[in-house]
Formats: sequence, structure tokens, C-alpha cells
Amino acid sequence: MCKAGRPDMKPAYPQAGSYPQFADLVDTERSQVDRKVFHDEAIYQAELRQIFGRAWLFLAHESQIPGAGDFVRTKMGEDDVIVVRQRDGKIGAFLNSCPHRGNRVCMVDAGKKARGFICNYHGWSFGIDGRLVGTDGKVYDTDPDFEKHAITLTPVAQVASYKGLVFGTFDPNAPSLADWFGPFTWYLDVMLDNDPEGTEFIGGCIRSEIECNWKFPAENFVGDILHAYWTHQSGAQAILGGGVDLGPQYDERAFQASIYGHGIETNLDKTGNTKTLGYPELVDYVFSQYDKAKDRLGETRARMVGAISSCTVFPNFSFLPGQATFRVWQPKGPNKIELYTWTLVNKSMPEHIKELYRRGTMMTFSPGGVFEMDDGENWEYCTKANEGWVTRHQPLHYALGISSKIDAPDLPGHIHRGSLNDANQRYFYTRWAEFMRFDNWSDLMTAETAPPAKAAPGVAAE
Amino acid sequence: MLHVKDPIGANLDRPLAGEDFRAAERFLYTEARLLDAENYTGWIALVDEDIRYWMPGMETRRRDDKRGPYAYGEMAYFDDTYAELKVRVARYNEPSAWADNPATRHAHIITNIEAYETNDPTLVAVFSCFTNVRNRNEKDQDVIHGRREDVLRRHGAGFRLALRRIFTVHNVLLSKNLNTFL
Ligand code: FES
Ligand SMILES: [Fe+2]
Repeated sequence: MCKAGRPDMKPAYPQAGSYPQFADLVDTERSQVDRKVFHDEAIYQAELRQIFGRAWLFLAHESQIPGAGDFVRTKMGEDDVIVVRQRDGKIGAFLNSCPHRGNRVCMVDAGKKARGFICNYHGWSFGIDGRLVGTDGKVYDTDPDFEKHAITLTPVAQVASYKGLVFGTFDPNAPSLADWFGPFTWYLDVMLDNDPEGTEFIGGCIRSEIECNWKFPAENFVGDILHAYWTHQSGAQAILGGGVDLGPQYDERAFQASIYGHGIETNLDKTGNTKTLGYPELVDYVFSQYDKAKDRLGETRARMVGAISSCTVFPNFSFLPGQATFRVWQPKGPNKIELYTWTLVNKSMPEHIKELYRRGTMMTFSPGGVFEMDDGENWEYCTKANEGWVTRHQPLHYALGISSKIDAPDLPGHIHRGSLNDANQRYFYTRWAEFMRFDNWSDLMTAETAPPAKAAPGVAAE
Repeated sequence: MLHVKDPIGANLDRPLAGEDFRAAERFLYTEARLLDAENYTGWIALVDEDIRYWMPGMETRRRDDKRGPYAYGEMAYFDDTYAELKVRVARYNEPSAWADNPATRHAHIITNIEAYETNDPTLVAVFSCFTNVRNRNEKDQDVIHGRREDVLRRHGAGFRLALRRIFTVHNVLLSKNLNTFL
């Protein structure tokens, strides 16, 4: 540093690499996943680079930041990020780290009408567009070599919205958000577009810490309704007065769908998930909206709105249709996550219905919720068991429903019959392996998890 | 009508005294002892049927942010009526409540108790602090610290819990779950 030239303050976006030795830990031939992927620190660091450094990650709902300067703070992988509404109405996202010595410039969870962010260390201040606008005192102003215009909070490389949900990626070369989802939007619309006025989040975010690998909850929501019978027996008994019931039409109607590792399992039973919130009035409301949803989405998807169903958008954004809980499993090392949860409602819902969804998610899928309460310990011990050297060499079984794949020309994606199935979990880990193996998007977007060619999604079905 | 979004109406110049104060204090300790023993049925018998039980999520906000660290109507851990508390109790009483089977070891430590009269002679306002320790299996330990603002309704020689506001010191809950009442 003694030569003291001018710094190059251009934001840097790290490149991906290729880790075939990690990709091979997912054995698709045998429907097995090697336990190292839940334990190994080097694999976790590769996940930060290959997955969280490239994937489109959930940031916020537009309704959380309606006006210029409104912001929330969140994580992309382990990177702290500020998501802030710009004066032109667009949404920007920036690394929450001062380019001077790296301190956080935003210490709070959220706020309204910020004019900018001032670093507490030496007082550099940044506009809501991330640009350096001022420094404390006059020292920099009189330094002829100080290039203020070249300094900015590092922008998240791309930020885009899909029907109210805001996502970002650190990869300038990532495909558009629409391409990232592909035809999976057909399923997302069940929650995001069953009403013309769109959706919003109820205010606030509940966060908790679970000592598990982030992939266990992500795979759970991508396609593990199986666990509900056993894990959630007590919650179902408390709320419904009986065990979990997938209903008489399970055999004809239930399925799993997977596209690029995103997956949804659903039972098409109209209100099975909504019932578990415990308010008959909510179930009546969902029924009362059925015809409207059917006009908009067609029969199959209208039946999904309140159905027993769960979904993960690769890698770590999950939700439960019908129960309205939306969440991100933020990774914190191979053995820990922070769980962020929100409640999503339609803007047009009457206030008392929104309130019942708020109370319902609190009663069920919240740290004290009668369902969520019993999930955490399972994921913690699935993770902890692998501390054992011999234990972590033992196989894990992901083979439920290996011959249940169907063509289903009316449903986009890879479809498997029956929601009690490991199919989506197999695709989730296959996608994980694709991210480990490939250093480029053309391979990533044409790999095995890419959707099979079908006619326009859902058209024939309706 | 009591509401958890409102302050509990303590008349700070009229503290409860003598046996009246000790009865209020005893009520909190009895409640804690029942919860330590996972006796949820016994605990809910001390709860008024008009109970409002609220524990908001605590956000980190700038001092000049008018919303403050919590806001009624936003995301919370609990915002329960009697019917909702009963559902939670029903789950605890199921043998398949796996997060409680094997049993969790609890210590509800209650301190800093102050009790005051309110403008309603049937109600008293009580402040307290708590440290809640849960330990499971070999060494899974969860600790929650916070303060409570309660309204107790006079009931015979004792009290019933009529309203509770729970404010933890935590932003992120440092636990996988919340398998207790605070
Ligand atoms: S670290 Fe931010 S101003 Fe110095
Ligand atoms: Fe679960």
C-alpha cells in the first residue's frame, strides 16, 4: 500500500466455479443423497458461491415498501442487504456494508421515507440509490484525489418483481426472473393471482433460529406432505379434532410438480390447509371465492388455493397455499438457519378475513404454532446426527414414488402422481447438484430439471 | 373493555400493599410453578375467559421511527383469546406432541414484581420480568428474557389472569420453537 494509488471501487460480482465432486454426492440413479451435503463446511462455502451467489433470492413484498425511501433489511445467503424503494418507484437492493471499512450502514430491520443511510463509523452517507452523497467534515472535500462519484454501496446485480414478490440475484449474467421461474409461475399464480387486486404482506416479520441445515426445511416444503401424518398429529388433533386427512379424492387428484428445482405438492381438495388454521369463517370465505378463482385460474388451480399443499422456490423460499405463511430459510453455516416468516393475503380481502389469516398463521406456522412447534427438532436432529463420522457415511433414502412419473400434458413441469412422494425432493437435490456442477447459465437452464416441452401451461386442462 | 394494545392502566401512586400485594405475587409464582410442571390444564384454569394474551415480534427500529419496536395488528408470536389458548393447551396434552415428548425441563423465573390499583376496583395491574429457561434432551437449551404487563381480575381471595402483554428483549427468537407460555 506504500505506493498509494487511487482505488478501483467498482462493485465486484464473484464468478461461479465447478464442483463435480460435490455434484456427485447426489446419486440420482439410486435416489440417494450423501449426508456430507448437510454437514461439510467446504460444501457449505461452495453453496454460498454456486447457489446463493447466483440464484434469484426472495427479498421482500412490494407492499412492505410502498413509498420512496421505504426499506427493509434482509439476507441473500449470508450477505446483509437493504431493499429500498427508489424515487422513480423502482426497487433497488444494496449490500449493507460501507465501502470505507465495511461497517453496516443500516442497523434497523425496516423503516419509512429514509433519505439515505449514514455509516456510524466515519459518517459516510449514502443516498437511497446507494451513491455516496457526503462525508463527515471537510477532509475529503479538500482532498484532490478523492473520487466521490465512483463510490457506491454495492448494488445487487439484478432486482425484479413477480406479481408483488421482489427477488434479487448477485449474478449480472443470470437469466431474467421470468426465465428463472419458467412455467412454474403457473403454480405461483395460485397464491399471487387468484384475485385481480393482487396480494400484500401483513406488517412485520417473525424471525427465529433453528440449528439445522437449510436444505432440510427447503426439501420439507418442496414435497414432504408425508411428515404431516406423524410429525403434526398433535397439532391436527388440537385444531381439527382428528388426524391429518388428505381426503377421498387423493388418488385421482393429488400430484407433485417440479421445474428447475422449484416444486409444489398439492392435493386439490380446495380448503384442507385453510381448515387447519382453525377458523370455520375462513374456510367459508375460501369457498365463497371459489367461482371467482375458477374464472381466473381454471378449475385445477382454483382447487389449489386453500388445499393441502406446500411449495419451495429454489433454493430457500417456501410457502403454504391455504395457510398463507411465506418464509425464507436463511443459511447461517451448515448447521444453522434463521427463519423469516410473513403472512400473505389478498389486498381485496375484508379486514376481518386478513386478521384471521394473521391469527391463523400465528396459531399454526409460527415458533409457538401448533404445527411448526414440532418441525424444528426433526430438522435439528437430521442435521446433528451427521456429527458422527460413521453415521455420516450411511445412506439416506429418497426413493418414495420412483415409478410414479406421469405425462400430465395439462400440467407444466415434471409431474408425479400422488403428493405422498419424494419426487420433488429428488428434483430439488438434482437442481442442487446442477448448481454445483455448472459454472454457466446455458448448462443450468437446459439441465435435467428444466421443464419438459408441453403446450401452453394449463390451457388444455381448463 | 381491556385491549392488549393499550397500556394496562396502573395507578403508579397506588401500589398494592400487604397481603393484597403478596396475593398478586403468589399468583404469578403459582402460574410459573404450574408451567414449569407442564401442567397446562392447571395453568389455563387460572386464566379469565376474557383473556387477551399478546406477544408481539420485536423489531429493531430507529429511535425517530414512529412505529416503534412493535405495532398491534402486525406479526406476533401470540395474540390469543381464551379459545386460542385452549387449542395450544390441547396440543400439549396430545401424546404425539413430539417437541414435548420426551418432556422439556422448564424454569419460569419471575422477578421485579410491582402491583398497582387501576381505576377499576376489580382489576389490578402487575409488572414483572422473566427469564424463561427450557432445556431438552442432552443440552438443547433455549433462554428467553423479557418483561410482562398483566391485568389480574380479582377472583375470591385470589386472581385470574385477564390480560398479558409480553415484550421480549429479543429481535430474532433464539430458539427453534416456543413450546411454553411466558
Ligand atoms: S466504515 Fe463507513 S464511514 Fe468508515
Ligand atoms: Fe411440518
